[in-house]
Amino acid sequence: MALINVAAREIHCKIVYYGPGMCGKTSNLQYIHAQVPRDTKGDLLSIATETERTLFFDFLPLDLGKVRGFQTRFHLYTVPGQVLYERTRVAVLNGSDGVVFVADSQRSKLEENIKSLKELAINITRQNKKFQDYPVVLQYNKRDLSEILPVSVLDKYLNGMHWQRYEAIATTGVGVFDTLKAISKLVISRL
Amino acid sequence: MDPQLTSLIVPSEEIAKIEECLNHLVEDTGGNYTLLLDKSGQVIASQGDGDRQDITALGALIAGTFASSREVAKLLREKDFRVLFQQGVRENIFIALIEEQWILCIIFNKGTHIGLVKVLTKKATDELAGVLERVRQQHKARDEVLGSSFRTSMEDTIDLLFRD
Repeated sequence: MALINVAAREIHCKIVYYGPGMCGKTSNLQYIHAQVPRDTKGDLLSIATETERTLFFDFLPLDLGKVRGFQTRFHLYTVPGQVLYERTRVAVLNGSDGVVFVADSQRSKLEENIKSLKELAINITRQNKKFQDYPVVLQYNKRDLSEILPVSVLDKYLNGMHWQRYEAIATTGVGVFDTLKAISKLVISRL
Repeated sequence: MDPQLTSLIVPSEEIAKIEECLNHLVEDTGGNYTLLLDKSGQVIASQGDGDRQDITALGALIAGTFASSREVAKLLREKDFRVLFQQGVRENIFIALIEEQWILCIIFNKGTHIGLVKVLTKKATDELAGVLERVRQQHKARDEVLGSSFRTSMEDTIDLLFRD
């Protein structure tokens, strides 16, 4: 649920990057953090294990400046992808306004993608929100790897809801901003 | 549209009431700083000493802590934990849930007794619950607050800033 503070003339929106372990959620945020202008971004906060796996979440605040007199802020979060952290994902999803589902395009990861997407639907529904109305953008990541599934196959298994979807290579930035733009506009359209 | 997806619009007069309540809490407890968050981690209002650098990150982390403790409560078959207390060497944080939706947080040092914080925070949460319920009941249209051309301007800004 977005927050509009009329006195301070501020708007805050929360966007969560969701998906199976090692699919590239943190890489998305790292790329965004590296590329956006200095005065737009806050520090990238990561709560990770010693081996750089996300333990709780990554957090990146983006300040878009004044739009029509309102200071607009997007707060980007990632969830920890590993199966073990299911309850942590529920905690991070709390109060989100939209989700980017990052799918790993590798053939061997299809089942994990499907499971993670099903879990997302359950978790959104548990927050008394209708999943079919929920703002979601899909990202098919790791398109540079060799053993990947064609987009048509990924669509068949993951995009039954006909969300906007983007092919990406998060480590080099391909598709990262297209995805961010799409989810931001979708969230703004639902304010 | 799903009511859960609509925005929470906090009008100026309600923000003033919230800030007054937070200000009382800081003054009456002798605390350092107080924050009101929504459960997603967004800061609605804050009062107290002015040198807190990263309120945004603080809000995100406190809301994360609370959301995490709620899941722990569920595993213990508790409904939720209404309050959390974190003790530091210099400063302590006391966090209380308001009506499942908001989080009140007060930061204080060892000059302030935890018992006083508990009692006055309870009083503040009751008062804030009333204000926040009024805010939630209002059904202001987005266009009434933001203006109808807001979306177009926002999309232009997104295109300008979010690029390689």
